[in-house]
Amino acid sequence: MFSPSAPDLSQNSGELNASEPSFASDEGTLRKNVVRNNGQSHHASPSKRPKSTILRENSGGLSFINLYYDSADKDDDDEAQLQHESEMNSYKVDQSNSDVEQLLQEGGPMRLSARDGSNSNLDDSGSSDALNTAGLLPTPESESRSSQFLGSASLIEDAASNSVKNSHLDRYGFMKQNQYISEKQFNEWWTNYSKYCIRRKRKWKDLLLKSGLPVDNDSPTRFPSKSEKLKRYVRKGIPAEWRGNAWWYFARGDELLSKNIGVYDKLLTKINNPSFASKDTEIIERDLHRTFPDNVHFQKSKDSDEDPLTIKSLRRILKAFAIYNSKIGYCQSMNFLVGLLLLFMDEERAFWMLVIITSRYLPGVHSINLEGVNINQGVLLLCIKEYLPDFWQRIYSNKTHRDSGKINNKNEFLYKLPPVTLCTASWFMSCFIGVVPVETTLRIWDCLFYEGSHILFKMSLAILELSGNNLPKAHHMSNKNADDEDMELFQAIQTFPKQLINPNDIIDKAIFKRRLKFNALNQDEIERCKKYVISQRAKYKNFQEVMKNDTANSSKRDSVLAQDLINETFSNEGYGFKKGLNGVNWNNNIKERVRRLSRKR
Amino acid sequence: MGNSVSKVLGKLFGTREMKILMLGLDNAGKTTILYKLKLNKIKTSAPTVGFNVETLSFKNVKFNMWDVGGQARLRPLWRHYFPATSALIFVIDSSDTERLDQAKEELFSIIGEKEMENVVLLVLANKQDLPGALGPNEVSDFLQLGESLKNQLWCVIGSNALTGQGLIEGLSWISKNTSSSH
Repeated sequence: MFSPSAPDLSQNSGELNASEPSFASDEGTLRKNVVRNNGQSHHASPSKRPKSTILRENSGGLSFINLYYDSADKDDDDEAQLQHESEMNSYKVDQSNSDVEQLLQEGGPMRLSARDGSNSNLDDSGSSDALNTAGLLPTPESESRSSQFLGSASLIEDAASNSVKNSHLDRYGFMKQNQYISEKQFNEWWTNYSKYCIRRKRKWKDLLLKSGLPVDNDSPTRFPSKSEKLKRYVRKGIPAEWRGNAWWYFARGDELLSKNIGVYDKLLTKINNPSFASKDTEIIERDLHRTFPDNVHFQKSKDSDEDPLTIKSLRRILKAFAIYNSKIGYCQSMNFLVGLLLLFMDEERAFWMLVIITSRYLPGVHSINLEGVNINQGVLLLCIKEYLPDFWQRIYSNKTHRDSGKINNKNEFLYKLPPVTLCTASWFMSCFIGVVPVETTLRIWDCLFYEGSHILFKMSLAILELSGNNLPKAHHMSNKNADDEDMELFQAIQTFPKQLINPNDIIDKAIFKRRLKFNALNQDEIERCKKYVISQRAKYKNFQEVMKNDTANSSKRDSVLAQDLINETFSNEGYGFKKGLNGVNWNNNIKERVRRLSRKR
Repeated sequence: MGNSVSKVLGKLFGTREMKILMLGLDNAGKTTILYKLKLNKIKTSAPTVGFNVETLSFKNVKFNMWDVGGQARLRPLWRHYFPATSALIFVIDSSDTERLDQAKEELFSIIGEKEMENVVLLVLANKQDLPGALGPNEVSDFLQLGESLKNQLWCVIGSNALTGQGLIEGLSWISKNTSSSH
């Protein structure tokens, strides 16, 4: 028999084919406990890590700002000046920290979160005990809703706080280190990025004050009306402590809640009924403790076997939602959406945000037949084909599709989604949670709630393009087979985004870059595209059904003819993207030149 | 020494590559198994919504291992993407006796598909460390694979993803039993 426990596995290679095949005899099933897998991981080559943008991080904080401030309109230019000034000032302020300390105090003790033991000796996190008593105490009636965060985002550490620097956890309570990013990398990035956060927050404060809006208790509830300036502010990141309120505001949560006062509580009464049973309950329970297991707010405390409050809220929301919208029920990935929301807002709001996400931003994506996912993938594919033609070649026009002798159906990919969508589907379902590092996810969410779902498509395109750049170019030159290429592609798409630790890097590439090709891709375009995909998919389905009935008693030749007919029909109905792009560029160019001229004068 | 010999052998016979699909109900331990094999580390595992894919080299065989989300609803997403799979690893949570029926049903529905006609089937009776877990024998008896599968090669092995027990053994079995046909 083989001896798999030998550390150097390669020495045994000869044995591999020599030993007799073991079928599932009793012997086969009983063989156990003999194998260790040391050696294996040693032998397995570490996954290829494309050189990523993280390395540029040290200089990133300052340079990217200049990158996009020299573009666009006059406001921007003014702001750029201000930016530079405040840049200089902020460093001074950072030293003295007066502003920042004030910020910290405003939040009060509830703002500090339970941290791991490693930093309990630090001054500003010494209240972890206090929090255990204040925030993590079980409520008397365990299924009543928790209002632990009402008024302030209590689970987030301030950007200026030292405790993040000295902890293994980030400001949201996630482990800094993971399979793709080391703690050192994280800290290097955070050193600059935390300063950026403080700077941005000051700008936000200014903006709110100028607009006559109060910044009560570091928890503003109203924000300025939509404008180019506000959009830019959002794209540069909403202050983390304000995110819950800002998302709620931009997604028009109050509007929905005011129409549904008391509904959530009624749902809770229902799920609290001992006789309540739902087919989703079991699945929800299994996923609860697998939701952000590396986040301190989702972990049981050492001396208690009781679920943390966050998990309890998560359970109630998911169960309540399953009966609120039975067309969706529970779909994996919703646990992540709610989990992340709960770090920023109270339970009832998190519930309604889930309602908003699943109905307005991602309609149908979590429904039982997942048709929404397929439609989104169809739209994304059309966008890839239009905006990333090289990448398109890579994922589609190869292999099977090329040599299938049929008439080429231009739109076949809309119903027979190519394998790459296996990957991208999950990006939409979880809104990039776990796909990119958490800070980057949050930035995407900022833009999502302010600008709409087309942001998800832009982000996907940017990520795919950057991932594609990390692949070896030689496509048909190499002797690699198609499977190898697929593996490389999938691994790049899987690995690369996980290293995008700095939100500014990707935001810059996806939406800020001047004359960026995706700029024309606005919400209208996406909606139009969606309609097209929906109609094509529906048509195809109809056709297939008709054919099925028809060909049941006709000859094979007829069915081939019929297939050709389908292909031809669909090929004639291509989708056309709006081609206003060049005009827009031209206009911008002219505008800019005029501006420069007038400045010289 | 050993290395160079295997390199020569590799050049003579070429390193084999195979695509392995890892399936099973949600929370069976698929992702944990994948990363135990890849990194020899226990990754705190969250439900897999999309998929994970990793390349493992073992002896002269390169395994491309695909681990896809377990929830029934997510199945249509990946169902048709695996025509060229050489082996199927079906992971069962041996301690979740209530869902054994469901696991069995799932296994038979997958193995009954056309694309799966020629794959070898490895069943990992996972979570052997948990109290109340059924042994691989019991799992095997329950599944009654021998009665239903006429053409496919199959095998049930007990495993514990946390320690790695049974995993290498499983891969060995796969590489041995696919060498002739691929």
